[in-house]
Amino acid sequence: MKNINNILLIISIIAMPVIASAQYCNHFHTKYCPPSESGMYSLNGQSKSALFSKGQTSELNVIVYKGQDYRISLCFDETLGSQITFKVYETKKVKVEKIIETKTMEDEYEKDANGELVVDEWGAYIPTGNQVEVVNKETVTVVEQQKNLLYDNSQDGFATELEFSVETTRRLILEVSIPGSGGSGNTKNKLIKSTDMGCVGILVEHMTTPIQGFKGTGF
Amino acid sequence: MKRNLKYAIAIIAAFPMLMYTSCTEDKPMEEEVEVEIVTDEKPQNEKFYQIPAPDEMFGFIKKSGLTYNKALINSPQKQTSYTTPLEQTMIFGVYSADLAYTAAYEEFNESIKYFAIIQKMAENIGISGAFNEELMNNIKNNLDKPEQLLENSNDSYFSVVDYLEQNEQGDKLGIIAAAGWLETVYIVANSIDYNKNEAALQRLADQKLTLDNLLMYLDKYNGNTDVKEMTAMLKELEVVFEPVAEKDTNSSGITLKKKGEGKMVLGGGSSLKISKEQFEAIKSKVTELRTKIVK
Repeated sequence: MKNINNILLIISIIAMPVIASAQYCNHFHTKYCPPSESGMYSLNGQSKSALFSKGQTSELNVIVYKGQDYRISLCFDETLGSQITFKVYETKKVKVEKIIETKTMEDEYEKDANGELVVDEWGAYIPTGNQVEVVNKETVTVVEQQKNLLYDNSQDGFATELEFSVETTRRLILEVSIPGSGGSGNTKNKLIKSTDMGCVGILVEHMTTPIQGFKGTGF
Repeated sequence: MKRNLKYAIAIIAAFPMLMYTSCTEDKPMEEEVEVEIVTDEKPQNEKFYQIPAPDEMFGFIKKSGLTYNKALINSPQKQTSYTTPLEQTMIFGVYSADLAYTAAYEEFNESIKYFAIIQKMAENIGISGAFNEELMNNIKNNLDKPEQLLENSNDSYFSVVDYLEQNEQGDKLGIIAAAGWLETVYIVANSIDYNKNEAALQRLADQKLTLDNLLMYLDKYNGNTDVKEMTAMLKELEVVFEPVAEKDTNSSGITLKKKGEGKMVLGGGSSLKISKEQFEAIKSKVTELRTKIVK
């Protein structure tokens, strides 16, 4: 028991840089993602920073509103490399009809040569003593999240900035993937070097889409 | 036991020295970390759900022509009426949204009152640490600059978000964000004239998507009874938002591409459409829920 306590203590001490790093990441986007130089954009509350390891993919679900311009910039620790993949998906709820199959084991009954069930003198079906697998199908309507890829920075020279106007309000997924073989998915029982970890920040800025042209100035 | 304790103290004492030593080496030392026992700080593939801050909505509705209505915000006199932790957390969200509303409309005197209220309410719910000296000095130094009001309001809101995230109080943050969002929707719904304010009405319809994000955020903390209560309220609102739908639900048609030689545009697809009946139903439900919170 004492040994276990000692091991836990040592591991928790070793983990301190990881924990400290995770907390440090909270302000990463405001410190390290360069804001727009135009001065027209405002910081959007949907910005976020998080601790990542190599091989990890995480997503940020945000809302972008019609009539606004958005500027999204990505910043990250050098330890994570230089080619961080950044994808933008549209996501929406859709109702989908699904056929649900359920399998049950049921008693098998005797059949005649024509495949008709045989009954005894009391009118009851006669069990063979065997069981057969019966598949039941039921149609149900379920709500699913559909993803539609809109942008992939690997097709754009691994750009770290994206600026766009919104004509239709949408829920977007900003997906960040760190290359390499780190603790992707189930990290249990894997060793991760602290140099394989780092902060990633996503800075979101917004402004009302500027009206272009000589509106209201003509004679 | 004493011997073990000595070892532990020695390790703790030596740890910073080991760290500094590693920094002085020519080759950076790599530390290997056993992730299995590194609590929940270990990086995992995660999904984060973000909620736009109230200022984004109020800035927009002001530009779209909706007028300020003081009667819609929660009276400062009621601040002592909230006694349970859940009531106090929710009302903190409500007053934060009210502050953003007064700031967006440059209601200077009202904003100062609401700054004072949320600072006091922050103490009640144990997040006074969010209002650090630097933030408070910045706010005090800009009190006589109405143009800074919105920035000050945002700074305090973002500071609260950061504080709660750092202190792993996502459940409390969810309740604050949800209550603040409800207050925002209440103010907007009760400011709109269905026949006149098309842009603001569209923004209200679009809140269906924000509500989705909010519910998914809260779902992470569904083991918390206060979060469950807040979620139940939002689910009631989800029911009245449900009929608000896109004209064309089969194909998205949404694209993000350059328009001519100009900037990138997220366009195509169809917007959510809201009928007069749906608008009235949302307005009625959000008013009912908001009344439950502010009493």
